[in-house]
This record gives sequence, C-alpha cells and structure tokens, in this order.
Amino acid sequence: MSQSAVLDAGLRPGTEPQDPARRPLPRFFGKGVLAVVLGLYTIYTLGPFLWLATMSVRTTAEISAAPYAWPTVFRWEQYRTAWESGFAVYFWNSAIVVVGAVVVVTLIGAAAAHALARYRFRGNRLIYSILFSSIIFPPQITLISLYQILVDYNLYNSLFGLALVYISLQLPLTVYLLEGFFARIPQDLFDAAKMDGYGDLEIFWRIVLPVGMPAIATTLILNFIQLWNEFLFAVVLITDPDKRTLPIGIRAFMGDHFQDIGMIATGVMVSVIPVIIAYVFFSEKLIRGMTAGAIK
Amino acid sequence: MAVVRLDKIVKRYGMGGPVVVEDVDLTIEDGEFMVLLGPSGCGKSTTLRMIAGLETISGGTLSIDGRVVNDVPAKDRDIAMVFQSYALYPHMSVAENLAFGLRRRAIPNAEIDRRVKAVAEILGLVPLLARRPAALSGGQRQRVALGRAMVREPQVFLFDEPLSNLDAALRVNTRSEIIKQHNRLGSTMIYVTHDQVEAMTMGTRICVMNAGKVAQIGAPLEVYWQPANTFVARFLGAPPMNLMATTLDGARARSMAVDAPLSRWSEAALVPYAGRRITLGVRAEDLSLERPAGAGIGKLRGRTVAVEPLGAETLVLVALDGETEITARLPRQVMVALDQELELFFRPEAAYLFDAESGLAIAPREDAAAVIGAAVQRRAH
Repeated sequence: MSQSAVLDAGLRPGTEPQDPARRPLPRFFGKGVLAVVLGLYTIYTLGPFLWLATMSVRTTAEISAAPYAWPTVFRWEQYRTAWESGFAVYFWNSAIVVVGAVVVVTLIGAAAAHALARYRFRGNRLIYSILFSSIIFPPQITLISLYQILVDYNLYNSLFGLALVYISLQLPLTVYLLEGFFARIPQDLFDAAKMDGYGDLEIFWRIVLPVGMPAIATTLILNFIQLWNEFLFAVVLITDPDKRTLPIGIRAFMGDHFQDIGMIATGVMVSVIPVIIAYVFFSEKLIRGMTAGAIK
Repeated sequence: MAVVRLDKIVKRYGMGGPVVVEDVDLTIEDGEFMVLLGPSGCGKSTTLRMIAGLETISGGTLSIDGRVVNDVPAKDRDIAMVFQSYALYPHMSVAENLAFGLRRRAIPNAEIDRRVKAVAEILGLVPLLARRPAALSGGQRQRVALGRAMVREPQVFLFDEPLSNLDAALRVNTRSEIIKQHNRLGSTMIYVTHDQVEAMTMGTRICVMNAGKVAQIGAPLEVYWQPANTFVARFLGAPPMNLMATTLDGARARSMAVDAPLSRWSEAALVPYAGRRITLGVRAEDLSLERPAGAGIGKLRGRTVAVEPLGAETLVLVALDGETEITARLPRQVMVALDQELELFFRPEAAYLFDAESGLAIAPREDAAAVIGAAVQRRAH
C-alpha cells in the first residue's frame, strides 16, 4: 500500500490493518502468562528464604525430625541465644569493617571516577585501563600477597587490615561503574557552576555527588552486600574469635561431628536482615542507577 | 555594564595543534547586543567560551572595561552565561538554581531572596519556584536559565545558542523576551548563533565568522546589504545571494546567460579586472520577470528547474547554464511552468561584484555606496 493510500484511509504509515492470524495474543492471556512466570520465579527465590526463616525459630532436633515442617512453636528466644552467644560481637565487627570500607570506597571511588571522567590529563586512560584490568582477574589470586603484606605491616588479624583489603577489592569496580555514569553528566553543568563562582572541589561536592546519587547508591548497595557476605578473605586474614565477622561466626556453629542447624539458620537470618533493610532503603535509587544509561 | 575588547585573540589546541580561532579583533561597546554569527565549527562558541573564561586564550589580549582578563578565572570576570542546554542543576529547585550563584558570593540571605523574587516576577517564574527543572517545559527552563544569569547582575551576559533547543513558536517568544530584557537592563550582551534570523532581529551589530576568522562586523542591515565577501553574501539571506561567474567586458559583467551593466562601479575600480573573471551577485528578491523602467538594467536568461510556491511568494529555481543555478523570489501571482525559458531583470543598484579569486567585494563608487546606505536606512525604519 502506498503512503498516500494509507493516509487516504485515515491511517498513519506503519499502522496498516493487521492480518487476524498475526494479531498479538489477547492482553489478559499475556498478563496471565506473565503472572505465572513471576509467581514461579518468586517461589523459586523466596522459598529457600522462607524455609530458612522457619528453621530460625525451630530447634535442631525439631528440624532433624521434620525438615520442611511449619514451626509448631515459634522459638523467638533462639535470636536472643544467638545474639548472646557471640553474634552480637560478629555483627558489630561486620558492621564496623563493612560500613567503614563502603564509606571509604564510595568517597575515594567517586572522587577518582570524577577525575577520570572529567579531567584530561596524561595517563588518564592508562590508569583507567589498569583499574579495569584488575576487575577481570579473580580476587583470590591476590589472597597470598595480601596476607603477606598485612603480616609485614602488622595488620594481620585486625579489623582495620581487613577493611583496607575490602577497600582495595571493591575500589576498581566502583570507579569503573561511577566513571561511566559521571562521564554522561553534561559538561555545561560544570561550566555553569564555574561561572557561578564554584571551584573544582565544591563542584564535586555540590554538583557531582548529588547528580550522581543514583549511581552512587547502586555501588553503595552492591559493595555493602558483597562485603557483608564476604567469607574467603575474612577467614584467612582473621583468626581471633573476638574479631570474627558474621560469615565466619556462622561457620563456628558447624562442628566436625555435629552441626547446630537451628542456630546456624538464626545466625544467617541475623546476618541477612541488614542486607534486606539496605536493599529496601536504596532499591529505588539502585534501579534508577542501573537503568540510567537506558533512557536519554 | 562594560566594554569587551578582543585584540588579536587566538585559540590553538595543543602545541602545534589546529588553530580554531585566529586573530579575532572585536570591540563590544557598553550596552551593545553583539551577535557572533557563523556556521558550525567557525569558532564562534570557542570565542564566547574564551570571553567567559571556560577556555584558555592561546594568543592576543582580552580585556573587560580596560582590565586584561586573559588569566582571570571565570568566577572573577563578573560574567554570566546562558547555555544551549540550559545547564540547570537537576537536583535543585528553580529558586535554588537562581540563588546558587549568589550564595557563593557572600551575599546576605535577605538580599538573595529579594533578587530571586524580583527576577522571578520579571520572568513569570513565581509559580515555578519550588519545582525541579525536570518538571518544567523547554521554554520555562530557558527562562530559568535566563533568570539565573540576570539575578547575578553581571557586567556582561553571554548566550551560547540559547534558543536552538526550542520549537519555532517558543523560539520567537523567547527571542522577544531576551530583546526585552536587553532593553530593560541595558547590559552588554554577546550572543552566539548560527541562525541568521536571530542575528538580524536581535543584534545591535553582527560579527560574522568563518573558519575561525572574522568575516565582517557591522549593523545587521549593513552586513546584509553590503557584504564584505562572498561568504557573508551567501550566509546572510534566505535564499542566499545568487553568485554567478562572469567576465568583465568594459563596464559590463557578461557570460552566456548574464548581461549586467556595472554603473555602480567607477572605471578605476574595474580596470584591474578588465577581461578577467569576476563574480556577480544578485539577491533573489531583487530579481523580477518584468523589466524595470530606467537604464542600466541587468538581465539573466535561463530555464526553470523548480517552482516552490510558499503562499506569500514563489521561489523559482532557474538554471542559467550547465553549472549555475539561481533562485528568484517572485510575487505569488506569478505563474511559471517547469522547464520554461525565462528572462529575469534587476536594477543596477542590486548588483554586487566580488573578486573571483579572493571572494572579496569590489567596492562600488562612493555615491553608489551612499545610495545603498540610504536604502539601508530606509529599510531599517
């Protein structure tokens, strides 16, 4: 059909009447399929979590007798027992190390990303490439050398040393993600702020950080979740029971001959709750940050 | 208010890199509205950014009110700029956007509030003060950008193609708004655009730029009626001036399809070009199908290749020979068919001559120039 004929028929080009055989599925059918798929996926992801939650209020004996049963008695005191049997210490150790590391990674990462995205200087792309290459390699290959460095500097078996390691592990990815976002902030904004009388540091603080908040929130939550659950470096670099973080603390409930499943489940729940809170708090910004490049 | 003087300003990127602005000499008088006009990549925005302090100056001297500011940071030049993209801070409300530049200057809060309110009232932004830029239309954003510059009460306003992101109707309104504010404030304003309509309607003077150099500086109608070279002649005017390669034969410009008596030029002016190729220029609106009364009428002969009825007038594209096509702007009543043999006429004062090699205009006799000058004045009024 020619374009004029289409227009004569009162239709815009590209909206020709469709062959009934090629008509899309009825809307309610499409929505139904979507609901079923989402429902199945929700059960798939939420099921293990709910199972864990039910186990956290049951004793190991009850779980052994009927692993999938609904709790007949909700033993909330298990949380107090777990908290008093060392989880409080593990929790605060994790909080200090992870929050400290995430704050430092975010500040340094944002500043570095801003410098790489905005300023033209010799070696800019070289630094960027080196940072990027460190993302490619698995972090485990640095474990032995980091262990030796911490021993040499008397930082082995210390929360400060572990926090430094966490900062070095997360910094490259943070810079990489933020650089991509910051590079898309229009240069005119910086020029306008300069004309308004602001210097480089003030522009970073007053323009880059607020405008880049969706991306910063994304890296913040990704780093938090990753470090909160980090096990390998913590188990190698921390030996003192008083300095254990939550993932190592949970492992302490696993004996060679007996595993206190109920207490492990309670401990896991204790460790998961901050992650859920952080996710709920930042999820909107996280999604905006992840889709920031998708929309002009 | 201030005088901005550019003296042999040069911009070069890197050592031995390309020169994007070359020896620009330009003085913008106190309270003047100067338009930098030129095609993309001609160096007009770079020149503006050098005045703003956003680009370093590779050579020459830039002074504002007699003070050399080559090495003065942007924030200390007392200049405000309106950007093409508006450059509004997306995380701040309209009121915060307006006040942002004042907060850095240790101005008391009460004074900031007074100025923000005053500017908001002038520009009709009062109902929008609490909104974020994302909740504003294009025209509203542009008004906020203008307000942000006005609230600073700077010596000089700079505009970098501020209307190019607006639709046609809004562009006309905002253009009027800027002219109105210039008349009200009487400030020195420098305005960059590639749109000749903006340049003609807004500028006190126009500085036409080409390939990093100044092609001509003058009042809008002066530049239009007395172009200094073929670039300016073609760049100003829609459709652009018709240029035809001819040979000087005595006091006539001739080719197969052109015969133009050159009574505007003195014999002395034409002697150097005797027997050589010269470029004859005639604006589309100066061509007619009817031979005007009087002597020295120029004549073009050709065949129509396109007819564009625009309602108020009709543009007729005529092929003179194998290479040259010209456009005539004819009254709407004129009925012309395609592939029709046509003769087009023009008065002697409508002819322009340019050196075929350099493209520079060949100056007409002074008395002829005075006639054109008087015509310019009449049209201006």
